[in-house]
Amino acid sequence: MKRRQRGGMLALLTAPLVLFVVILFLWPVARFLALAVDNSDFSNNLPRTIAALADWKAESGLPDEPVFAALVEDLADARRAGKEGVLAQLVNQRVVGSRFLVIKTAKDAADGKLDMRPVRDEVLSKQAGWKNVDLWQVIARQQSARTDYYLLASLDLKRGADNTIEAVSDDRAIFVDALLRTIWISIVVTVICAVLAVPLAQAIVSAPQVWSKLMFALILFPLWTSLLVRTVIWIIVLQKNGPVNSTLLALGIVGEPLDLIYTRFSLYLAMVQVLLPMMVLSVVAVMRRVPTTYMRAALSLGAPWLTAWRRVQLPLILPGILSGGAIVFVFALGYYITPTLVGGPTDQMISSYIAFYTNNTLNWGMGAALSLQLLMILVLFAFLFWTASALFRRKAHVA
Amino acid sequence: MSADRFRKWLMYAYAATLLAFIILPLLIVVPMSLTSSNSLAFPTPGWSLRWYAELWVDQRWPNALWNSVVIGLSTTVLASLLGIPAAIGLAWSDFAGKRIIYAIIAAPLVTPVVIVGVAAFSFFATLGLVGNKLSIILVHTAMAVPVMLTTVVASLSTFDRTLLRAAASLGAGTMRTFFKVVLPLIAPGVITGAIIAFIISFDEVVVASFLSTGAERTLPRMIFSGVRESISPAIAAVAVLLIAFSAVLLGVIAILQSRSQTLRAKVSA
Repeated sequence: MKRRQRGGMLALLTAPLVLFVVILFLWPVARFLALAVDNSDFSNNLPRTIAALADWKAESGLPDEPVFAALVEDLADARRAGKEGVLAQLVNQRVVGSRFLVIKTAKDAADGKLDMRPVRDEVLSKQAGWKNVDLWQVIARQQSARTDYYLLASLDLKRGADNTIEAVSDDRAIFVDALLRTIWISIVVTVICAVLAVPLAQAIVSAPQVWSKLMFALILFPLWTSLLVRTVIWIIVLQKNGPVNSTLLALGIVGEPLDLIYTRFSLYLAMVQVLLPMMVLSVVAVMRRVPTTYMRAALSLGAPWLTAWRRVQLPLILPGILSGGAIVFVFALGYYITPTLVGGPTDQMISSYIAFYTNNTLNWGMGAALSLQLLMILVLFAFLFWTASALFRRKAHVA
Repeated sequence: MSADRFRKWLMYAYAATLLAFIILPLLIVVPMSLTSSNSLAFPTPGWSLRWYAELWVDQRWPNALWNSVVIGLSTTVLASLLGIPAAIGLAWSDFAGKRIIYAIIAAPLVTPVVIVGVAAFSFFATLGLVGNKLSIILVHTAMAVPVMLTTVVASLSTFDRTLLRAAASLGAGTMRTFFKVVLPLIAPGVITGAIIAFIISFDEVVVASFLSTGAERTLPRMIFSGVRESISPAIAAVAVLLIAFSAVLLGVIAILQSRSQTLRAKVSA
């Protein structure tokens, strides 16, 4: 009884940390991700217009007088609340080129320049942009405070004229490519790391102790150096008059400096160098637990070395490769610094797009939708790795 | 037998090549940073320490270093205050939902850092705390605490809990037992965790970029924006200093670990 009570008391010691992480980490992240479906800036700033458009159909052409009157009132209010910029941006995202139209109309509305009756003629004569039926159709659809616009956009989809889901035009379809590229780069990096790490781990495990320790320290060292520094160093090493190019030139292998940096090649190189230690650590940890007698038994029974290694050693260290692969892959998916600094424009991964949409265009909805997408892929692949290693363990158990 | 030896040599040659690939880029910037020229080139046209002097003269670099150190130390202290009690709670008790607590605490470690940065920016912007060291310290603490927790839990797992009863039977209170018995014995784990927490904060660039403005720039943030404009030898000099700093910290940890091993050997003997 006393012991139990004590366990409960001790468990309370975790409370401050858990509260800290929930309030300062989970809550901000959840709040940000919720922006992916948030439409309140749209629906709250055009309430009367949206309500007035409830019975309107695109086929009947431009809306009638009450809708225009509502629009002028809404825009005047938005302008007074300082919200017309946000609103203009939201409209502009859906109908490109309408930012200025919204801002100008809002300014005129607030200044009382659109008071002449009928308002419809007044608005259309001063701001001909409102003759665009698409614009009205977009506004009519914003009744809800929630939207699937960003989630669809993050998959290169949109709602068409009849509200069905369709693909966006090819010149605007960038996100599926970015998504596939992110996954592909991560897979390539993970595979390269696995292939490179296994023989190195074997060398570390089978070397005499002094050498083994030295190799282990060398592999650990980069983990202690900042990711940024290691990335910057690749730029220095691979630039036009850097060591690699000058060596190649001096040896006469190439006639003029190669474009090594800002390419997919330099991105792979930098990412592998940064992530390889994690894979090696994971494989070494498992390999150390595998008795060397297994290999010796296989060899003494006459198996060629490579066969013995493939049939005996490899299956035993596979859990280490899987868990290392999971770590490398999950880290690689979220990479931002390295692709931004050493990759070219066509090597950017999802994280760069997230940063771009929130930093440069202040399109928080898009940034949040892409973040949600990235997190979902991360969870999906983590689950796949977990299932793979669970299945594998069961199989090993049965055997 | 000779095939065996050949294979062995092949394996070591491979290991040496791969380790060179990992380590050499870190070393080659040392001569490159000692250039007398205005641009980074290899081979170096002439030698000088001017770029290291430049770092000292250009007020922005010492400033950024100061910001990074303040943020790093505050993060370390906060992560210790939150992490050590939590580690004791997790290591010495058994309760339902322990896994959930681990998952919550580990979340900042596995979330892509851009998402952390953007979310933190939007959160602290509503609180008016962007461009303030406090916001960076809080987020860095969330990112560093999982590692702190891991090292402390590891050292607690080898802690002999009969010592607690011994201390209690001798009349020591909870606090006294903690500071006089528990803390000295888990000190290597705590210090290792503290050093790693400091490094995580000291090296972090994405969150710092989102949350800092001009005067609050941290060292990594300076490097990041410097690299995007143009790479001057000053950047290489900073890189060298940071690599040297990591080497020193790694050395400290290596010494601590061998100390704790001998200490443990003495206790068990």
